Amino acid sequence: MTAFLGLLRRDLLVAWRTAPFLLTSALTQPALVILVFGNILPRLGLVADEFRTVMVPGLMAITILMSGVQGVLMPLAADLSGTREVEERLLAPLSARMVAFERIVAGAIQSGIAGLVALPVMMLLVHQVSGVDVKPDWALLLPLVVVSGIVSAAFGLNLGTRVQPRFSGLLFAVVLGPMMLFGCAYYPWASLDALGSVRFVFLVNPLVFMSEAMRLAVTPEVAHMDPLGILAGLAVFAGLLCWAGARSFESRTIL
Amino acid sequence: MSTLVVEDLRKTYPAAGKAAAVEAVRGLSFEVRRGEFFGLLGPNGAGKSTTIGCITTLVRPTGGRIAVDGIDVVARAAEAKRRLAVVPQNRNLDRDLSIRELLLFHGLYFGLPRAAREERALRLLRELQLQDKADSKPAALSGGMQQRAMIARALMHDPALLLLDEPTTGLDPQARRALWDLLKEQHARGLTIVLTTHYMDEADRLCERLAIVDHGRILTEGTPQALRRSLPGGRVLDLWARGGAPLGERLGALAGVQGVEPVTDDEAAHPGVERLRLFVETQDGLLDRVLHEVRAAGAELDHVSLAQPSLEDVYIHLTGKELRE
Repeated sequence: MTAFLGLLRRDLLVAWRTAPFLLTSALTQPALVILVFGNILPRLGLVADEFRTVMVPGLMAITILMSGVQGVLMPLAADLSGTREVEERLLAPLSARMVAFERIVAGAIQSGIAGLVALPVMMLLVHQVSGVDVKPDWALLLPLVVVSGIVSAAFGLNLGTRVQPRFSGLLFAVVLGPMMLFGCAYYPWASLDALGSVRFVFLVNPLVFMSEAMRLAVTPEVAHMDPLGILAGLAVFAGLLCWAGARSFESRTIL
Repeated sequence: MSTLVVEDLRKTYPAAGKAAAVEAVRGLSFEVRRGEFFGLLGPNGAGKSTTIGCITTLVRPTGGRIAVDGIDVVARAAEAKRRLAVVPQNRNLDRDLSIRELLLFHGLYFGLPRAAREERALRLLRELQLQDKADSKPAALSGGMQQRAMIARALMHDPALLLLDEPTTGLDPQARRALWDLLKEQHARGLTIVLTTHYMDEADRLCERLAIVDHGRILTEGTPQALRRSLPGGRVLDLWARGGAPLGERLGALAGVQGVEPVTDDEAAHPGVERLRLFVETQDGLLDRVLHEVRAAGAELDHVSLAQPSLEDVYIHLTGKELRE
């Protein structure tokens, strides 16, 4: 346990030192989306007014996903590079699976913080540019952010250990991009009734549950998935991705 | 009790894609006593790094058993890791931390209390002459300094066993000597050290006992002196000649010559030259008889030297080839 906490402390220190960079990369996209979709497009009459409320929790879920994936993917690239810095971690007195799990926890903390910083920024922005007020249920929000962070970081661990570094440029185009478009971030799950049973295909995407979780806590007045369904989805993805990520980390690092 | 026991270690890397399975270690056994300086000597690809990987839990053995201080490294990995430290071949210092920080964090991973961590980091920075670079990141250090920083890091948690994998590869001669002195000093203080190398002189200078490894097996094991004595004769006569009839058999029949081996490496650089290594006893008139035989064969002498056998001769005698660099 000492080794686990020591590694976590090291990772948070290093993340803290690069915090301006991490936060800028996490906040730029949602801020610009709010500007365009919250102000410019409604003024042009191209987007319905309701969209301004719908997008806030969705953008928060995307921020958490991207920060979690990046928070694991970037250090993992150094770990598994030619110099194999990961050896220092693997030689610490804890199992390789715990080393993997520590990476997930560190990534989850980073992504949770990014999400919680992004929300007030977006609330302020959306109020400024479109006069819409969002009133989150903070007590409900916190635990959902934690679980969403774990799902995101564990997903990042799977990407980082299963995808060869030379293909990492493709990740955004073929994995993260489609995930965001089909992740119920820009439209609530409830509205997908229009698609009939095809909508169930969307459920293979963990971002759907994260978006709905944020919707439940940030904009409860908008139609959302059943809270039990949200929790079950998040729990299943967290468990599955942690298990698979730790396994693949172990097989990549212990020869 | 032995600090390190390796019993019938086997490691086969499974086939991956087009690459066939590789049998890197094929039944390797040795023991290292407490306080001993032990060497694994062999060419690149002999299985030394795989062996170190298995001892340090970074490579999963296919078969056999390894125990550090009596603790099985597979069954009780976390406990075993507390007792060992490794200076790897690649420089894997944490790039995001300063040298001081990475020592302190290493101590933290191993559960050292704050005061002990700080005291030890300070002492090691001083002893390894890293004070001036304590607040620099690893990338700002020379190769020799990074090597010393890795040793300082390894010593932070006071291991019972220090493993070094090819520690002087890529170092300039001065840094190499400084590293040898440092290791001798740590050994003199009672640290058990296992070193792998493909440099004969390094093994000869540092190791109290060594095993010569090739193709994943131990060919022979003993003190450097005993290994040299194991050669027939006791002296080595190197002889190059050109022209004339083949000399090998003729010279082998001479009194005082215990064995003849052709030297076959780098043939292209010595066209038309027959190069032989003779294991000889020092006898009166031996050189005379050899020279006479060379002339009788109609050959011309290019080079001749008589020397104490080196570990390299032992290696060549055992494997029939030079060390692959």
